[in-house]
Amino acid sequence: MSQIIEEGKRLLNALARHGDIIMQAYANGTVTERQFPANALEQLVRLGVLWRPDASQPLRLKAVVRNLLEGSLQDERNRVMSTNVVAALSGLTTLAEHYKESLLAQRFAESQSYLNELTEHVYQLSEALGNSIRVLFSRINDEFGYVSSVEAKIRENQLAQEQVSELLNQLECFQFDQLSQVAGNYSELRHLLVVTLQRRFAKAAQELSVVQARLLALLGRFREFQGRTRLLKGYLLHQEQHPDFAPRQYINMTQPPALFTQAPPLLAEAKADVFNTEHENVLALIAVSVGAHKVRVKPKTTAVAQKFTLEEASSVTLNDSEIKVAVEAYFERVIDSGQTLSALTYFDEKQLDFDKEVWLYQVIGEYDGLTSTDKAFFALEWEGQTDPVFTGNYYIEDILLGLR
Amino acid sequence: MLSEAGRVLSRLLEGAYICQVSDEEGWRFLKQRENQNQIKPHLDVLNRQLSTAADGSVFYASYISIGEEERKHLTAQFAETTSQLMPLVEWLVLVQQATQSDVPLAMGSAIRLSELQQIIEDTPAFRETLEKIARYRLFGSTSVNMDGQLKQVFKRLTDLGYLLKPNSEKQIYLATGKIEYLYEVIKFIDETEGLGLAEQAEAAIAQGSLL
Repeated sequence: MSQIIEEGKRLLNALARHGDIIMQAYANGTVTERQFPANALEQLVRLGVLWRPDASQPLRLKAVVRNLLEGSLQDERNRVMSTNVVAALSGLTTLAEHYKESLLAQRFAESQSYLNELTEHVYQLSEALGNSIRVLFSRINDEFGYVSSVEAKIRENQLAQEQVSELLNQLECFQFDQLSQVAGNYSELRHLLVVTLQRRFAKAAQELSVVQARLLALLGRFREFQGRTRLLKGYLLHQEQHPDFAPRQYINMTQPPALFTQAPPLLAEAKADVFNTEHENVLALIAVSVGAHKVRVKPKTTAVAQKFTLEEASSVTLNDSEIKVAVEAYFERVIDSGQTLSALTYFDEKQLDFDKEVWLYQVIGEYDGLTSTDKAFFALEWEGQTDPVFTGNYYIEDILLGLR
Repeated sequence: MLSEAGRVLSRLLEGAYICQVSDEEGWRFLKQRENQNQIKPHLDVLNRQLSTAADGSVFYASYISIGEEERKHLTAQFAETTSQLMPLVEWLVLVQQATQSDVPLAMGSAIRLSELQQIIEDTPAFRETLEKIARYRLFGSTSVNMDGQLKQVFKRLTDLGYLLKPNSEKQIYLATGKIEYLYEVIKFIDETEGLGLAEQAEAAIAQGSLL
């Protein structure tokens, strides 16, 4: 045993010493032999780290070392999965039988070593499963970032899907009733084979189904990308070959597709309401800022001399409008008769040709326009009614004008 | 204060395309059936309805019934849309090729203008393509230098709502849901006219034609 330990240490030391060679082989696939001393390479070959597949071929890394690196570095390029569950299963059964037999024969030391080995196997199997799933997940999360083209991603995705189905198939091979039979009444065996493995497998199966769903979704997306790229390139090609191609007027179809019936913009900005007391402050601020702005940008105006000619001032005549004349006549009539007269009665009597409302307004306006001394001669009364619903509104229906 | 329903309604009536990139809250609001029902009567009055494209990734207002007036407007709009297709497709392909991405631009994709500019500047073929694209009426660039052309193209695309510049100080643009709408339009034309665009592209790739 001590010899094995010594050799192991030697191997690990050699790995550490020649780390650069190994990593070159890991990264590039092969070793450029010119760069390194021949005896170092020879030692690595002897230790089974490097190997030469063919006399004419450069040195390569052995698969076990590569696996070690991939596993520890969580390298996503790792796409090889070694989960031969069926083989592992028979290994487990065999060891379990060894253990039971040695226990029955009361060879306890031996049975303990079998149990240790069995434990190791069980954990290895769980770890291998966990690793495979982790690798799958990291590839998915990265969307197969280690290959560039969508086509390659689609192929990678298909590979991953095959691996998932393979794993699932293998998990199905695992029959826990058989394992439970093998374990019998031995509590250690039961714990290892039934409890630990089963829990791990149940979890794995669950995770794998998630992986499968994600892979399918991803494949759909890749296909979509591929389709779109082809669509765009196809469109360019088509336009190149048929420069005067124009699609039909889909709008004239009886049911134009919703894709082309987008309605035009409709909304415009709202206007300020200066009668809204709530807005008073805001509007005042805006007005102030606008004012200041105006003052700032006000262009300088300079007086420019203009030509002018002298001419006689044209006479200005103020023509009283007809309605004003009519209203004055109405006032005179009231003065002459000295009796109260309704504006509308006068209106009908004279068969005036104005709008009645305008007439009434004009009468009120004329009355209001009188000087206060003149106003004192007249008495003006409104006939009308208040609004049935809104208070404060009064509808004037007629006006009575008389002398005081 | 305007409620979310009111805000979304006004955006729709302003002719906006509401997507997760341009207005995430509004888009989430419209995703809910009861919210859609809430704004429906308001749109109804104005002869408009909520439409969606690209599997619900973008919402906009469309006409319910199409009379003479509406038909006139839509015909003009359709003519504009189809005339814009070629420049837009050429631009999409240019961006995809220049960024050396196998993935076409989609909603949420980010474009770093300075990076794109560097690549186009260094590649004569891309420079030529950009010059051709910028001269289309849609972009209407009169600039002779590449920098001005690229800026004008991106400015127009932002105005038209295909791109969004989330930070006015950074030259990073995000593709909006209107890009998805654009794909939908091309897809529709492809299917309706039976152009078989994907097959044409595939055949060309198989023949080794350089695209």
